[in-house]
Amino acid sequence: MLTVQNASLSFGGIRALVDLSFTAKQGEITSVIGPNGAGKTSLFNVISGFYQPQQGAVLFEGKDITHIRPDQRAKLGISRTFQNIALFRGMTVLDNIKLGGHNKLSSGLFASGWFYGAAQREEVAFRAEIERDVIDFLELDHIRKAPVAALPYGLQKRVELARALAMKPKLLMLDEPVAGMNREETEDIARFILDIQEQWGTTILLVEHDMGMVMDISDQVVVLNFGRQIAAGTPHEVQQNPAVIEAYLGSNEAGAA
Amino acid sequence: MITGHYKTAYAADESIWNNWAKKSGLVIALIGLFAFPLFANNYLLLIAGQILIYMIAVTGVNVLVGYTGLMSLGHGAFFAVGAYTAVIAHNAVENLFPLITLALSAGVAALFGLLFGLPSLRVKGLYLAVATLSANFIILFLIRQDWAAPWTGGRQGIETPNAVIFGWELASNTAKYYLIAPVFVVFVLFAQNLFRTRFGRALIAIRDNDHSAEILGISLYAYKLKSFAISAAYCGAAGALWSYFFPAILPEDFSLNMSITLVVCLIAGGMGRTLGPLFGTLLILLIPEILKIISGVFTGGDGNALIHFSSIRDIVFGLLIILFLIFEPMGLVSIWDRFWRFVARWPFSK
Amino acid sequence: MGQVMQYLLNGTMNGALYALIAVGIVSIFKSTKVVSFAHGHVIMFGAYFYFTFAVILPGAEFMPDWVAKWEPEWLLAYKEGAMMFSPKAAIAAWVSNLPRIVLGLVGSIICNALLAVVIERLFMRPLLGQSSLSMILCTVGLIWVLEGSASLIWSADIDQVPALGPNFPIRFQLFGDQVFLFSASVVNFVIALLLFAALMLVLRFTRSGVAIRATAEDQSTAYAMGINVPAVFTSAWVVAATTGAVAGAILASRNGLSPTLGLFGLSVLAVVLMGGLDSFAGVFIAAMIIGIMEAFTQWKFGGEYAEIVPYVLVLVVILWRPNGLLGQAEIERI
Repeated sequence: MLTVQNASLSFGGIRALVDLSFTAKQGEITSVIGPNGAGKTSLFNVISGFYQPQQGAVLFEGKDITHIRPDQRAKLGISRTFQNIALFRGMTVLDNIKLGGHNKLSSGLFASGWFYGAAQREEVAFRAEIERDVIDFLELDHIRKAPVAALPYGLQKRVELARALAMKPKLLMLDEPVAGMNREETEDIARFILDIQEQWGTTILLVEHDMGMVMDISDQVVVLNFGRQIAAGTPHEVQQNPAVIEAYLGSNEAGAA
Repeated sequence: MITGHYKTAYAADESIWNNWAKKSGLVIALIGLFAFPLFANNYLLLIAGQILIYMIAVTGVNVLVGYTGLMSLGHGAFFAVGAYTAVIAHNAVENLFPLITLALSAGVAALFGLLFGLPSLRVKGLYLAVATLSANFIILFLIRQDWAAPWTGGRQGIETPNAVIFGWELASNTAKYYLIAPVFVVFVLFAQNLFRTRFGRALIAIRDNDHSAEILGISLYAYKLKSFAISAAYCGAAGALWSYFFPAILPEDFSLNMSITLVVCLIAGGMGRTLGPLFGTLLILLIPEILKIISGVFTGGDGNALIHFSSIRDIVFGLLIILFLIFEPMGLVSIWDRFWRFVARWPFSK
Repeated sequence: MGQVMQYLLNGTMNGALYALIAVGIVSIFKSTKVVSFAHGHVIMFGAYFYFTFAVILPGAEFMPDWVAKWEPEWLLAYKEGAMMFSPKAAIAAWVSNLPRIVLGLVGSIICNALLAVVIERLFMRPLLGQSSLSMILCTVGLIWVLEGSASLIWSADIDQVPALGPNFPIRFQLFGDQVFLFSASVVNFVIALLLFAALMLVLRFTRSGVAIRATAEDQSTAYAMGINVPAVFTSAWVVAATTGAVAGAILASRNGLSPTLGLFGLSVLAVVLMGGLDSFAGVFIAAMIIGIMEAFTQWKFGGEYAEIVPYVLVLVVILWRPNGLLGQAEIERI
């Protein structure tokens, strides 16, 4: 489904990713974990095209997408949420979600400007679709007309998830979806993620620090440290891996850092 | 007290005039617009025509500055391109049908918009403001040149044609007003519709967060350039109407001052709202008239006051911009919103 | 050929003036993140203040005669027999003008500083914390306020203002080319360079310079570290306005006075963006490039083409390097 091959990325002297390779399998939940600064978000940015890796390639459904623009990758079916919420603050929840489906709609400039006819039919049909599949599903119906800037953090995160879902992506990338949430909210999101995987067969790539959730829902876990992959496998395998334990707890010689 | 509106279909929820108050407001506004010449004298029509033309242009600026979030201080130049295109087209083909002229002017202005929108792909904010300001200087410079004079009249300016529809020449201000008003309605409605659909949402998304818009599948290249083209086309159409409305045009008419005035109208009215440009333009273009009346009252038509008139007008303009930025950064529209919120909640509002 | 050196020199001198004006815009930007579109109009006020203190005031009835025309014995003796347009006569004329030149400079610097404080306190301070776009638009509003006020206040007929230095023609050979200069331009050039250099040194080596640079990096952190950020803002505007007063005096003595003088500031804005907003060195280079290119355009194509040189150049440069020649690129994050 998604393969990252030998990707390397550096900013000036800082090497964010070093020769990184892994594959996310169709329909599975793949988690990327690692200490802060390990390069997880950089990896996401390379996959969604915000950064160009200096070396290596990104393959999506067997196609090399390393050199195409972010918006073209979205058209292929890659969607994501952001670690620091990147909603469109001037818009309502509904408009944010509608925007996620931008490439599913096709009205051009003049159809849009005239509105009545094709554009109206399309907009209304799409509205019905996202109401059914996204807004009801993520339980956002009570706030659909609210401006996003006024929402609390947890709801904003959920709107971001809704926006990413509106395009019915084949690959969904979630960057710390439960950061800063309490137990119940975390469980809600975990349930949503499992439902998405189950109902839509979406491949999910997850960056998360909440180890409980990662170990519970992942099919595969990839561990990064200082931009390098230090382990990969099922949650159980990764938990036993000495390199992972060292990265997280520190080795005896190094002491606490 | 107007409370929630009960709706049973998404189509109804997506409509613009979704309650009786808004619907009747629209009808009254349209009747007022088209009945205006019946009550107005020639001078009032002159001002009204000018205001409507400006409103079209400011609506265009709103597409770019208010909705897409790209700064421009060069739209006076697109206005000029539209005006001169209309004149040149009429000199080439006599009595060209006005709608064709409008389309032509809008089209040529859009091409210029695409060209001078190119920097927007590389730079944002201030750099873009200066790039568009440069565009303004360069376009006006080209128009002024002696080698362009056979078409543009050079620095002496050029006489402009009257619109002719099926042999009927629109020479009076009333006739011209009735050409401008429908065009105005169409252009404003077009913008309003644009921003409740896919296309407009993409532009707003670019304004609010360009990187995440791109990652969600919006091509920044395409949409930024299209936004430039649309807003330039609005100004171009306004320019064509301008050349129909006035007997002659000069390069100085479209100087940096006009570009800034367009932006000022937008700020005063409120960016990123359909009504913003309309309110703002009304206020800003009426200020000189109001000042004239006030100075007439105070001086009894004293000539000395008129010498300083342009200075005082400049100061009032400048102060208005600053005061709006400080006290009402969302423009007149937000006052309007507050007022209707008050009315809707009456008698429970405070 | 022949005149290349001449135009190169003319361009360099103009470039230095551009640099002097640009330094004001840069210092405001560095500390407040506001790019002042009105800087040209602040300079115009400086020019009018210079005119007021160097021409109107000395001519007033209550002023002693020597302010308008200082002619001590030794000066008359020195002037005795000097040829018209000779250096000697020019220097003598300059010395007798000296009191009013000094009065003009001091007056315009003080008044412009006050003007800057008023602008900063009244107009910019209330916008603190709003987007930089609305602050920039506020300076656009200032353009109109300043232009209108200037034509309201100084509606009297405009006289010539005295040049800052003695003015006599200089001719010499440079690389085999005959070159012709006015000494006043040379003095202006030197003043501009000295002021530019002095400002850079102040920023680099003094306590207040460090405060300005810290504020430029991060306003809130600087505030938290005990730097009086509002004071930094005010002082940045004052620095810009005072250098602007000198630039205004130079411009007024060279090009004459009019309310449209402020438009000059817009072409300087092009200079600043071309060089890179936060880089003094880049701005200096850009000022020189534009000054020289303008001079050559004027030579080859005529004055009108020279007017748009800064705008064409800035368009080309920011398409090629979006942050200007030496400006720092921001690393974009998401």
